[in-house]
Amino acid sequence: MSTEAIPAEKPKRNYNALFGLTLLALLVLLWVILSLSTSSFASANNISNLLRQGSMIAILAVGQTFVIITGGIDLSVGAVVGFATVIAAMLINAGIPVFLAILITLLVGVAIGLFHGFGIVKMGLPPFIITLATLTSLRGIGLLMTNGNSISINNDAFQEFSRNSFLGVPNLFWMVILVGIPAYIFLHHSRWGRYLFSVGSNAEASRLSGVNVQRTIYMAYTLSGLCAAFVGVLLASRIGIGNPTQAEGWELQAIASSVIGGTSLFGAVGSVHGPLLGAFILATINNGANLLNVNAFWQRIITGVLIIVIVYFDGLRRRGGK
Amino acid sequence: MTSTAQELHPAPVLEPGRTILELRGLEKKYPGTHALKPVTLAFKSGEIHAIVGENGAGKSTLIKLLTGVMPRTSGDVIWEGKPAPLATPHEAMALGINAVHQEVVLCRHLTVAANMFLGEENSRFGILQQRAMVKEAQKIIDDLGFDLPAHVVLGDLTIGQQQLIAAARATVRGTKFLIFDEPTAYLTRKEADQLFTLIRRLKSEGVTIIYISHRMEEVFELADRVSVLRDGTLVGTRNIAETNDAELVKLMINRSIEQVYHKEHFTPGAAIVETRNLSGKGFENVSMTVRAGEIVGLYGLIGAGRSEFVTTLYGRHRKSAGQILWEGKPVQVNSEHDAIKLGMALAPESRRDQGLCLNLPVGLNLNLPIYKRISKNMLISGAQEKTQADRQIADLRIKTPTRHALASSLSGGNQQKIVIGKWLAHGAKLFIFDEPTVGVDVGTKAEIYRLFGALLSKGAGIILISSYLPEVYELADTLHVFRRGKLVATHGFRTADHEEILTQALAEKQEKLGGKI
Repeated sequence: MSTEAIPAEKPKRNYNALFGLTLLALLVLLWVILSLSTSSFASANNISNLLRQGSMIAILAVGQTFVIITGGIDLSVGAVVGFATVIAAMLINAGIPVFLAILITLLVGVAIGLFHGFGIVKMGLPPFIITLATLTSLRGIGLLMTNGNSISINNDAFQEFSRNSFLGVPNLFWMVILVGIPAYIFLHHSRWGRYLFSVGSNAEASRLSGVNVQRTIYMAYTLSGLCAAFVGVLLASRIGIGNPTQAEGWELQAIASSVIGGTSLFGAVGSVHGPLLGAFILATINNGANLLNVNAFWQRIITGVLIIVIVYFDGLRRRGGK
Repeated sequence: MTSTAQELHPAPVLEPGRTILELRGLEKKYPGTHALKPVTLAFKSGEIHAIVGENGAGKSTLIKLLTGVMPRTSGDVIWEGKPAPLATPHEAMALGINAVHQEVVLCRHLTVAANMFLGEENSRFGILQQRAMVKEAQKIIDDLGFDLPAHVVLGDLTIGQQQLIAAARATVRGTKFLIFDEPTAYLTRKEADQLFTLIRRLKSEGVTIIYISHRMEEVFELADRVSVLRDGTLVGTRNIAETNDAELVKLMINRSIEQVYHKEHFTPGAAIVETRNLSGKGFENVSMTVRAGEIVGLYGLIGAGRSEFVTTLYGRHRKSAGQILWEGKPVQVNSEHDAIKLGMALAPESRRDQGLCLNLPVGLNLNLPIYKRISKNMLISGAQEKTQADRQIADLRIKTPTRHALASSLSGGNQQKIVIGKWLAHGAKLFIFDEPTVGVDVGTKAEIYRLFGALLSKGAGIILISSYLPEVYELADTLHVFRRGKLVATHGFRTADHEEILTQALAEKQEKLGGKI
């Protein structure tokens, strides 16, 4: 009866790997086209700029992906970024050592994530609602704290960090690697990662199999909050101010990156490398459109069309793969 | 006057009177199961035709074919003299075939009136005539003698009342052929009486009624004729006046016990778990003991409280009273986690909803309970993950190309093996199997039963829930019968006969109803 085992060697896995490669190929293709059609794209300066632009969304997208894999959504990440710039700026200006200020800012992100977990697990609110509520109220709290003004950060070393490079690669991009590698190991090689998938696929079955579903949900939102706060620190360093209205709409870019990277909004499907590639594809399109003098309004339209096309083909691939 | 379809012939012998719908060799095969073997049967216009049979006998398959939900494998359906393909639900409805299901399939958030007219709204210039619809719906409801308001939201009614609305809805749609699938499962006696009034009235208007029920007394109260299905075969059709309880029950369960039921007897050891007057949502006052090396069978109808009992034992739901003793000591089981830690394993009733992560790989599903064990410092050992999954796949002969295939791509029997397999890897002292062989082919059934023997030989205890009497009858060392949330009878291995057990589960005798017969 078992004779028909092992005829076709892992068909499913290869599809996912293939999809990752397709995205990478798309990114490379975009780079080649832009290098040939513009004189400035391939310059070191522009590439660094591009990497800086994509990095922050990429990190947000990784956190967002954890949440989406559980079948949820985190709309608050843009607001958390803005709020985190305010916290970081205030702490640094208050003379607290930068290291400590960053740590406290990250803890604020963790606290926000825990609050989301609490709202979902204990209050039974849909993820969309609780994170939407945080989105609007965090911006409000930030505006109250700053009186609606921007706070200039009086610390040159802190700001230097985001402008500098290491081994010719911008520090901000190193941060993507810093987040990406542990995130990859966490999602694909730890049992917590497996639990994220299983909860997103079937929470009841996971629960009956002994998975702590509530803890898993707390974890996903906490990690998303942590990533967002970290991006807030990076943004504060980059623009040198704390301003609660910064990063408007970044949550949507993070979600778009994640979805372009193959994450399913129905849960249980996703990776770490996919959203990273998705974020840099989006950044490349914006960057290239600028260089080609494409109207900024068109950039938004192109992004929208791209999301539809990529996700449509991804759906075809999945259905075809059955 | 009896038209018996035991011997299959191309067209059944018809009584005088119009035949509205005729089945000629209607057949349905699923991969691995022969759900309905060729059925030849004629339904007469204006009759109430009961269909009885055990769970898995093919009743629901027959309904699905007649309502166009599923395509048939072969055979013909003749509707008013013409062949009807019945390829879509829409086509069935257009002919006048409708069904009222056991579970209400209506929009709970809309009003009663909106539900009654759903899909056929009364509108003028595209604007809904809400008031007119409520008025009309109220008229229909009053007419039927249901004391229910048409303007309230459906979800505010009891399940039984919703069922009545579903029935009323079916009547306003030019229905000529109406199928009731266990309509009284959730009804109170009063609601059931209202429903019967409606059914008789439809009959007097010439509508053909197919009435599917487990409850014999209802069959005798309502039906003109009754057909019995067993293992996908139509074993007989009787005029109701010419048959009785005993004959029907015999037709339903009189099967040849195949070599399927592999049973090994062990001397029971110490008690693994004992419940004392355990109560919770859906069951009350259940006391039982499971000892090492024995299978405790729980038999009853769907909704008798068996699943609720075991899920509460497993910590999924809170108990409201009573005590659980694990290996002689009182324990608190507040979560599934507690239960697993003690040494319980549950293969739940619904693979789809409770058992599997369908869109994830087979390997992940198999390893889900043991990831803690095969991880070191949070990281999963890839080699262990592979060996554990591959071992279960090989041991249980799960038919899958690799452990990376998605669970959804496997057949029902193989999916069930995953649900069981994940607990074999984990290990447990008490295995709870809730309907482990539903939708599973005979070969896999036999494998699962052999597995029970292997578990018992290692000193485990098993709770086996089944709505399929021969299964629990042939396998259980102790057989408990549940009815409406209560443990009503206990038997040893084969100490009672099928009729007695079935009667205890159905219990018509004790609860003879309202003098209707």
